[in-house]
Amino acid sequence: MSAAYIAFLLDRFAACADQDAIVWRGERYSYSWLVETTNRWMRDLDEHNVSHSAVVSLEADFSPHAVALLLALIDRGCILVPLTSSVGAKKEEFRAIAEVEAILEITPDDRVTHRSTGITPNHELIMQLKQSGHPGLVLFSSGSTGKNKAALHDFVPLLEKFKTPRHSMRTLTFLLFDHIGGVNTLLYTLSNAGCVITVSDRSPEEVCSAIEQFKVELLPTSPTFLNLLLLSRAYERYDLSSLRMVTYGTEVMPESTLQRMHSILPNVNLLQTYGLSEVGILRSKSKSSDSLWMKVGGEGFQTRVVDGLLEIKAESAMLGYLNHASPFTEDGWFRTGDAVEVDGEYIRVLGRKSELINVGGEKVYPAEVESVILQMDGVEDAIVTGSPNPITGHMVVVRVRLSTGESLSEFRSRMMAFCKDRLARFKIPQKVVVVDDALHGDRFKKLRGNNV
Amino acid sequence: MKDELVTLILDTLREMGSSGQFTLDGVTAETPLFGKNGLLDSIGLVSLIVAVEQGIEDRYQKAVSLADEKAFSQKKSPFRSIDSLADYAIELINAG
Repeated sequence: MSAAYIAFLLDRFAACADQDAIVWRGERYSYSWLVETTNRWMRDLDEHNVSHSAVVSLEADFSPHAVALLLALIDRGCILVPLTSSVGAKKEEFRAIAEVEAILEITPDDRVTHRSTGITPNHELIMQLKQSGHPGLVLFSSGSTGKNKAALHDFVPLLEKFKTPRHSMRTLTFLLFDHIGGVNTLLYTLSNAGCVITVSDRSPEEVCSAIEQFKVELLPTSPTFLNLLLLSRAYERYDLSSLRMVTYGTEVMPESTLQRMHSILPNVNLLQTYGLSEVGILRSKSKSSDSLWMKVGGEGFQTRVVDGLLEIKAESAMLGYLNHASPFTEDGWFRTGDAVEVDGEYIRVLGRKSELINVGGEKVYPAEVESVILQMDGVEDAIVTGSPNPITGHMVVVRVRLSTGESLSEFRSRMMAFCKDRLARFKIPQKVVVVDDALHGDRFKKLRGNNV
Repeated sequence: MKDELVTLILDTLREMGSSGQFTLDGVTAETPLFGKNGLLDSIGLVSLIVAVEQGIEDRYQKAVSLADEKAFSQKKSPFRSIDSLADYAIELINAG
């Protein structure tokens, strides 16, 4: 029996049956294929004894069957726990935190395997959601600065915004299947009968090649990826003229990276997105393609700034964390921990408050320093963090990857000269470390943990 | 060894000075580094110490911490001159 949670989607799919819904490994899958396969999975889940409202992990990347199964599980009222290989060794721990009852794993050749875990859920929030009969979604924060928090959502309010028709676009699913941005991209694209274009790896070459081959119009991605794209110059080797919009989020965009992207792709709209696992993705509007100022909000979201920090009240907010105390104020506002500047209706994100570096009483946000250092010749990537220092309390540390082969002291000297007129003196890194390894993880987000 | 350390500290100061923070004209091993009439402010001192620590690690394969509680509890600050900083560094290198 279907509770029709996704009936509105199936109706839209049926209206454009012959159009491409998904491109996977170069093959096209139409909306009629997706409707048929989703319906088949709705029946097959009975045979697999996946009960209604069961907690089910869907261990997959974007693939035709992963998408069909996701839809079927939502419709069945299951609590969905998407997991990708990027979580690596933490899979077992995540399943335990989410109290996963059944594992549906999609193999690299898009076949589905199923097994039960023997776990019986008893978390209060999960039991409440099960009783309501609504489908759910568990998302883990990336934990780039600490513990992974598991956010439990009621899927019904998350689906609500997709009922309003918007532009249909051919969209590359860059953000991962188990990330709020990835889930949002998928549902946005399908609900508007766009086409989901998947990639097997997320290198600049592969992404640009897919844009050219499948006429991608929208690329939702991260500042770290855009920096890699600029370095690789892959945009010179492929025809990217189909691209209309690049959206960036998940971390603070260095101003310098944005300006360079805008000069290379002047006809592409560069738009900042803003969202969090805990509240969903807000509607946002950048002031312009070369501006970091944006308006955020949209139906179902209220925002306010308290002590320089952004707070959000969302109808689609999570029910709570499964492994952490509630982060909401008593009247339901979520404290994002993001420090922002405000100019009328516009805000600009400065960085996480937890990443603020206090150098002898002066405040430094890593993004501003990174943006300057990334402009230096031969700097492939740069991450700025704070480190305790007995003289100034904290000092600014930059880890850089260089293509120049310079010694530490050669680079340090050049950096100091370069930064002198571009940064206040206390913001110029007091410590420089030259590294050989990539400074980002599978999610194309800077790794700021101190152990990196 | 003392000469090597004095050279390392002077080279590091020269590197920092080249971006216009100060000039090394007339600087000797006895020039006050930090404190009254010192060449450096606290941020300059942090940069110098970190760079000297990295230089020591590079040359002597020894990780030393030139600015910690111990340094501040010394009767005479190791940061008062290039000479005293070099002595303090040698003490730490030989202690490890």
